[in-house]
Amino acid sequence: MTTKEMFKVELRDLVLLGFVVAIKIVLSRFTIGTTIVHIGLGFIGSVLLGYMFGPVWGAVGGGISDLVSSALFANQGGFFIGFTLSAMIGPLIYGLILYKKPVKIWRIILATLLVTVIVNLGMNTLWLHFLYGMDFKVALIQRVPKEAIAPWLEMIITYFVLRALSRVKIRR
Amino acid sequence: MSKILIGRYIAGDSLVYRMDPRGKLLATIGFILLIFLANNPVTYAIVTLFSFVGVAATKLKPKVFWDGVKPMIWLILFTSLLQLFFTVGGKIYWQWSIFALSSYGITNSIFIFIRFTVIILASTVMTVTTMPLEIADAIEWLLIPLKLFRVPVDKIALVMSIALRFVPTLFDETVKIMNAQRSRGADFNNGGLIQRAKAITPLLVPLFISSLETAIDLSTAMESRGYRGDEGRTKFRVLKWSKYDLVNLGYFVVLTALLLIFRTH
Repeated sequence: MTTKEMFKVELRDLVLLGFVVAIKIVLSRFTIGTTIVHIGLGFIGSVLLGYMFGPVWGAVGGGISDLVSSALFANQGGFFIGFTLSAMIGPLIYGLILYKKPVKIWRIILATLLVTVIVNLGMNTLWLHFLYGMDFKVALIQRVPKEAIAPWLEMIITYFVLRALSRVKIRR
Repeated sequence: MSKILIGRYIAGDSLVYRMDPRGKLLATIGFILLIFLANNPVTYAIVTLFSFVGVAATKLKPKVFWDGVKPMIWLILFTSLLQLFFTVGGKIYWQWSIFALSSYGITNSIFIFIRFTVIILASTVMTVTTMPLEIADAIEWLLIPLKLFRVPVDKIALVMSIALRFVPTLFDETVKIMNAQRSRGADFNNGGLIQRAKAITPLLVPLFISSLETAIDLSTAMESRGYRGDEGRTKFRVLKWSKYDLVNLGYFVVLTALLLIFRTH
């Protein structure tokens, strides 16, 4: 597949991509959960990007969402290419597993676990290690408790959202 | 709530405001990368000094920058504390099972504290003194080299400007939908985990459908205004380099030189 074929897209889908990126940015400003565990809703945006636009444009959309939200809100990580990369890999993984496939529970579990391990625990910890000079193990210990709880909640939300969205898609 | 959606730009007039957003973006990214070079007290002092010079050059009130650090303060302190007690090396002053207070741990946690603060300050200078639209233009300019790999940079720029334009709109839309659902009994903040997960659907589906409709409308409007793909178009908003950008460049060169001289090799 050439680069040109890989990036082929209709204007309508391109505009919709812009909207879904905006939805991702808006959702990441909201959190749900109890006082103990707070979970940002940004991951729903990643799921949407991967599920609707596939790995390639999903990854592009993820990258753009990081850049635009940095431009608007100055993200916690500052302007650091690593976090942009993380934002791209999430939708890429969701896209590889969920794009143009029927919504199945095992797919959601697999995708969420892969994103949690590769992106949230692996890459993001690595960036913190690089960027702030934190000891890798200590940075990991700090992140493990949240990442042990969050994925299960994310799976449930992803399931309900994708089921609802597949209904919307069929209707069009 | 509407305060955060406009972005963090604060109107002002100083040297930093007159600099080209491309130069500022490059300087911010470069500054964050240069921090990697800092590895001893002297270099950390230089980095801190230069970031404060940058902050002072904006001529904005310190509160603006405090607001940038404030949401992160607990994370910064918590991280520094973890580093303080978990990294061991050098002289040990105090120890209790796995916790230890060592000379290495103390310097390390101070360094991490400085890095956090300085990175947040640099990003804050960038976002506070540059309008989001200008930052987007600067990012687009930075992506141009990707054309070598046949990446459709113009398409990416289009998606970026649409996203930027519609974040505030969709934010309002989200709040409206939430209120509409609440007024008929939806509860977004109570119930068990599954209950809360389910509560997202009545928020997301209307948001998604309205986006789908606006996207169709917008693409029709764009095509009827003669949009036939992204290539071969002119630019209305053009960025221009000026003499102020030399100040930016000079600042950056001096910082790089100082860090290279004073770091422990």
